[in-house]
Amino acid sequence: MGDKLKKIGTIISGSLLSGLEAKLAEDVNVEGISVGRLIVVDGKNNKFFCLLKDVSLEATNEDILLSPPNDDFAKLVHAGVNTFYKLSIQPMLITAQDPTEDDRPRPSTTVPPHFSPVCEATEEDVSLIFGSPGIINPEIGSPIFMDVPVCLNLERFCKRSNAIFGKSGSGKSVLARMVLGYLVKSDMAINLIFDMHGEYGWSATSESTGIDDPSLKQLLGGKIAIFTVDSDSPLYRRIRPDYDVQIPYSAIEIADLELAASELGLTQAGIETMYRLADKWKEDKWLARFLDMDTDELSAAVEELKVNDQALGKLHRCLARLKRLPFIRKEVADDTVERIMNEIQAGRHIVFQFGRYNSMLAYILVANILTRRLHRLYVDKTDSARADGIEGPKPLIVTIEEAHKFLDPQVARQTTFGTIAREMRKYNMVLLLIDQRPSGIDDEILSQVGTRIVGELGDERDINAVLTGLPNQGTLKVLINNLEPRQFLLTGFALPMPVVIDAKDYGQFCQEISPGSGVIIDEIERRKAMDDLTVKVFGDDEIIFD
Amino acid sequence: MAERIGEVIQVYTTRFLAQSDNLSAPPHFGSFVKVESQSIPVYGIVYNVYEASIDPNRRAMAYGIEREALFKHQPQIAEFLKVEFEAAVIGFNDAGHIRTYLPPFPPRIHSFVYPCDRQEVLDLTEDLEFIRSVNVLPGLPVEELVAASIRLIYAERGNDRAFLIRAGQEIAQLLKDEYEKARSIIRRISDGR
Repeated sequence: MGDKLKKIGTIISGSLLSGLEAKLAEDVNVEGISVGRLIVVDGKNNKFFCLLKDVSLEATNEDILLSPPNDDFAKLVHAGVNTFYKLSIQPMLITAQDPTEDDRPRPSTTVPPHFSPVCEATEEDVSLIFGSPGIINPEIGSPIFMDVPVCLNLERFCKRSNAIFGKSGSGKSVLARMVLGYLVKSDMAINLIFDMHGEYGWSATSESTGIDDPSLKQLLGGKIAIFTVDSDSPLYRRIRPDYDVQIPYSAIEIADLELAASELGLTQAGIETMYRLADKWKEDKWLARFLDMDTDELSAAVEELKVNDQALGKLHRCLARLKRLPFIRKEVADDTVERIMNEIQAGRHIVFQFGRYNSMLAYILVANILTRRLHRLYVDKTDSARADGIEGPKPLIVTIEEAHKFLDPQVARQTTFGTIAREMRKYNMVLLLIDQRPSGIDDEILSQVGTRIVGELGDERDINAVLTGLPNQGTLKVLINNLEPRQFLLTGFALPMPVVIDAKDYGQFCQEISPGSGVIIDEIERRKAMDDLTVKVFGDDEIIFD
Repeated sequence: MAERIGEVIQVYTTRFLAQSDNLSAPPHFGSFVKVESQSIPVYGIVYNVYEASIDPNRRAMAYGIEREALFKHQPQIAEFLKVEFEAAVIGFNDAGHIRTYLPPFPPRIHSFVYPCDRQEVLDLTEDLEFIRSVNVLPGLPVEELVAASIRLIYAERGNDRAFLIRAGQEIAQLLKDEYEKARSIIRRISDGR
């Protein structure tokens, strides 16, 4: 720590809207200045916290560009006079020069005066902005080129739907695991995680080392309940899942099948036929009955329903794929949603795993069916709690991977996930979207996302989608373009200003989060304090009994 | 005080003309001189040195003999020649403080001219204002003059490279609209030339 304000430039022009421009000091090497850095501008009465968004080469005179200086001496003397470097910086927050206790940084509404010194942010500045680490304010990384914690305000994080975006290999799963781990630890909200790829259960294979890293269940033990549709999977040879899940045909609605239309190969005509079937044979019975039919019964049905026999045959073949999912049964022993509700009320967090059935079809069906029923339950409970003036059900964060499958513009208006994202926290239920293809998500949903954690993204369309509804898009776009693996841009509701971080080391996270180590350290600290007290009271003379 | 090198014979606010005492040792182009006049030393930088006949109506003639030999055999010829030099005023000494701007009045005719000592050169050139002063005077060979004097100061300062860079930057700054001019001076002062 300490006040090592290093002046790197001087403000020369700019505006609040388009950002400030500074001339780089002559003694600073431009190659050491990289975009995404946190910058502090020392105004007269205020400090301005800014983001470095661009560095450019400038010349005062065209002639020097036409006949450039050719020896080192000439380059040296022209530097800073005829040629200079311009820093483009975006003011974000402002705070008084000597902030008092309740003087929190607030959004910048003005600019610093001409020739204000531009400095790199110090550790004190960073902790002033992002607070110091704690259980509801956990450290999830440090600003690039700095070794100071950046903390995520979980209290605010839980109040909106959030998203973690990044292409595969960007480290988003590891970061998501950390965020979820801290959420579980803090108990700010209950998590329901649809774990398509089996990364949030007992362990997850690290991409870089190939070794199994401990995951949530291993780290947090009793706080996590694992539900699975594939209890026979080799995954569970060592660690048994807490619950085995089966879904009855009666729970599947046509809307669920519509969502999985492309996975099932359904056409529009097929969907219409399903509605006819449901009308005729009751909404919760038709599917089981239809799938049981043989060829003769099907032709009879063609007569009865007056539908095209080929269309019905195709629909039958398409839906027959459901039979290959052993967890979808005619009869089930008990109701999964009820169990989940009980676990939630008991304060346990739920990881929903798919084992070997990690096809898109199984994932979409299960996630959608369960979430829809949970949402209905939550709406009822919240409304009745409100009517009775008591506390509603515990806030729930539903984490979904491959979020674009549920929130693509064509289906987002009808699916439960779309509804949850739009109604925000009204019914104590929000989403955490994890996706590598944000451009596939409906704009309206994206603009509702509170906190965005963005890793490396390749596609221009994805980058544009991620920025939907954000201010200073130009700046943020530059930052996203420059991200490396394990670097993330954090922006939105849970953070006072956008920041690019190097994600925290996973090993460090594991040490911090696992109850074992923490308990032992706490115990050691406690005993040490007791010993000190004993010495203070009784002195440290050895007592000899004879 | 060092030995005198000349006597002022014509003055303007911004420059003066002096006649050299010694035909064989004229002051160097770009060197710093001072005139003691009315107890205010006025500093100048030599920008033009020339040798001519003392009679404006009679030009010197070619004899076809080496200069040394000619003066030995016909010493009267030397009596008909003079060396004069012009200097641009770049500052003065105000009760012990060196000011790098024009004095309130020029030195008087018949004042003596002396070379500046090392300390005076250092003090006079510390802020590099003299470059600006000579740059604005019309009719001066600015590029050559500035380069010559900086080379001289550089040697006087014991080849202080930091000074050379500072001087180069001052030139680049002053002549930022005349890049070619700045470039030619910088080329002339850069190391190894």
